[in-house]
Amino acid sequence: MQILNTVLRFIDNINDWIGRILSYGVFFMFILVLSEVIRRYFFNSPTVWANELTQLIFGAYVILAGGYILRWNGHVNVDIFYSTLSYRWKAIFDIATSVIFFGFCGMLFTYGGSLAWESLTSFEHSQSAWNPPLYPFKLCIPIAALLLILQGIAKLIRDIMTVIKGEPVETVDTIEREVL
Amino acid sequence: MNIEILTLLFFLALFVFLFSGLPLSFVLGGVSIIFIWATWGPEAFYMVAAQTWGAMNKFTLVAIPLFIFMAMILEKSGTAKDLYDMMYVWFGPLRGGLVIGTLVICAIFSAMCGISGAAVVSMGAIALPSMLEKKYDKLMAVGCINSGGGWGILIPPSVIMILYALISGESVGRLFAGGVIPGVLLLVLVSTYVLIRCYFQPHLAPALPPEERGDWGRKLKALKAVILPVAIVFAVLGSIVFGITTPTEAAAVGLLGSLVSAVVYRQLTLKVLLEASMRTFKLTGMIMWILFGAYSFTAAYHGMGAAHLIEDLMKYVPGGPWGTIIFIQLVIFLLAMVLDPAGIMMICVPVFLPIIKAHGFDPLWFGILFIMNMNVGYMTPPFGFNLFYLKAIVPSSVTMGDIYRSVIPFTIMECTGLAIVMVFPKIATWLPDLFFK
Repeated sequence: MQILNTVLRFIDNINDWIGRILSYGVFFMFILVLSEVIRRYFFNSPTVWANELTQLIFGAYVILAGGYILRWNGHVNVDIFYSTLSYRWKAIFDIATSVIFFGFCGMLFTYGGSLAWESLTSFEHSQSAWNPPLYPFKLCIPIAALLLILQGIAKLIRDIMTVIKGEPVETVDTIEREVL
Repeated sequence: MNIEILTLLFFLALFVFLFSGLPLSFVLGGVSIIFIWATWGPEAFYMVAAQTWGAMNKFTLVAIPLFIFMAMILEKSGTAKDLYDMMYVWFGPLRGGLVIGTLVICAIFSAMCGISGAAVVSMGAIALPSMLEKKYDKLMAVGCINSGGGWGILIPPSVIMILYALISGESVGRLFAGGVIPGVLLLVLVSTYVLIRCYFQPHLAPALPPEERGDWGRKLKALKAVILPVAIVFAVLGSIVFGITTPTEAAAVGLLGSLVSAVVYRQLTLKVLLEASMRTFKLTGMIMWILFGAYSFTAAYHGMGAAHLIEDLMKYVPGGPWGTIIFIQLVIFLLAMVLDPAGIMMICVPVFLPIIKAHGFDPLWFGILFIMNMNVGYMTPPFGFNLFYLKAIVPSSVTMGDIYRSVIPFTIMECTGLAIVMVFPKIATWLPDLFFK
């Protein structure tokens, strides 16, 4: 049990760590876009790389967010019915629907992976004036799927523990959700 | 298996899993891939993966985190407090004046940031206690914040409009321009209601007693509160509408403006920045993951031929094209009771837009109607975001029942606005046609 908890905590920590680093991404995007505006309008010398780099950062920023958001239960759901359930029933529902979740993430892992693999083996570059390599960013898709799957497994194990014990396991209840 | 049964099963499965509490993005993604597998075979998954990459790689979408970050900063900056002080001295002497002031601030906030939360949170914390203290009726005080707080998605800039542009292929600039007049229309309609009601029932919102009104010196001094917000609004909207910058660049300029105002009010600390960046990250990621799920949904929906079936079925809706429009609005309204705007958008637009186009309606106009409708969704139970925000910040003298009851007249006014734009499409399309030929 002790080992299991350590593993679960380890998965949480991976996603927390990635989330914290990625959350700074918005500063980079801001500075890149703003400096490009300034360069274009005030110095009349736009760069070939700023916008493309911003775009690539954005890609990694959003796709890798998936696992972190799952860890904090931040993905929006319809809880009109779900929120009335007891912890045990919530866990039972989550276990049942996890098939769908793993199906989606598995698909993303497999096919995002083959997309990234093609890109990697051909050393794909973007063919723009700046011409950056794309494979590191395409590789983010299977990595993001993997992070989600890991967090999903952690959630599944906790749900099973909840069903057995009949009371919520630590961190199951933490919801930090932002709304639009 | 024939297409009718397949489509029925598809929507049934979506419905069942959605209500079982699984997050929307995984419901859309997971259910869809089963149906894609059954109808097209797994080769179609390559397309879904490629679309995911496509969405990760769009410069326009970079505007989303920037606008969200901007709203998070504005919420923490002192802008709202100063604006409210100004409205207090200028509108306070009027019956219902503080309500009008609150509505105007909500509109200004909506014109500064692309999401709704900032206005509700700020006004709930600043205007609500002040109005209650001045013996304003609590339903009036809560209702106006609830109503005005939703305008963030309609009055440009708007994150929802950026998403609509992405899915529908409309231009972001045109949509932004299209939201201006309907937004002003709602402000006018709701304010008119407040003014008329408070004129005849002064006990709902008494005018400030003369000794609290402030002299001209104070009034003029208070005016400086609008300088920064107006500058931000012009910098963001002006640069998009006049084609100087792309929406993404305008978002960066606006974010700079909001940082400047936070500095001016001495609210910019490292803690505020880090907290805002974390919230931005979560919200942007959440929205984008719905989009990733929605790509599978769209692929499945079109791939298995459900699109044609739904189009055929819509022919049975009585009332011709207008009946169809009204029917669609009703569906959106019902969905808004259980789902968030980004989710509704990504489910409904792929389904309804082809029908709208087939009837010869303007997709831009439809987008504005869509957003106005969701605007109502923000304030109506059971899943109105503004209700949740308000519930968290209202004093204990205001119950959830009060909040629910307070929305009724405001909802009626906003639905009237929706109907007016529906009947007179020019209200939405005139400005975009003027600026973007």
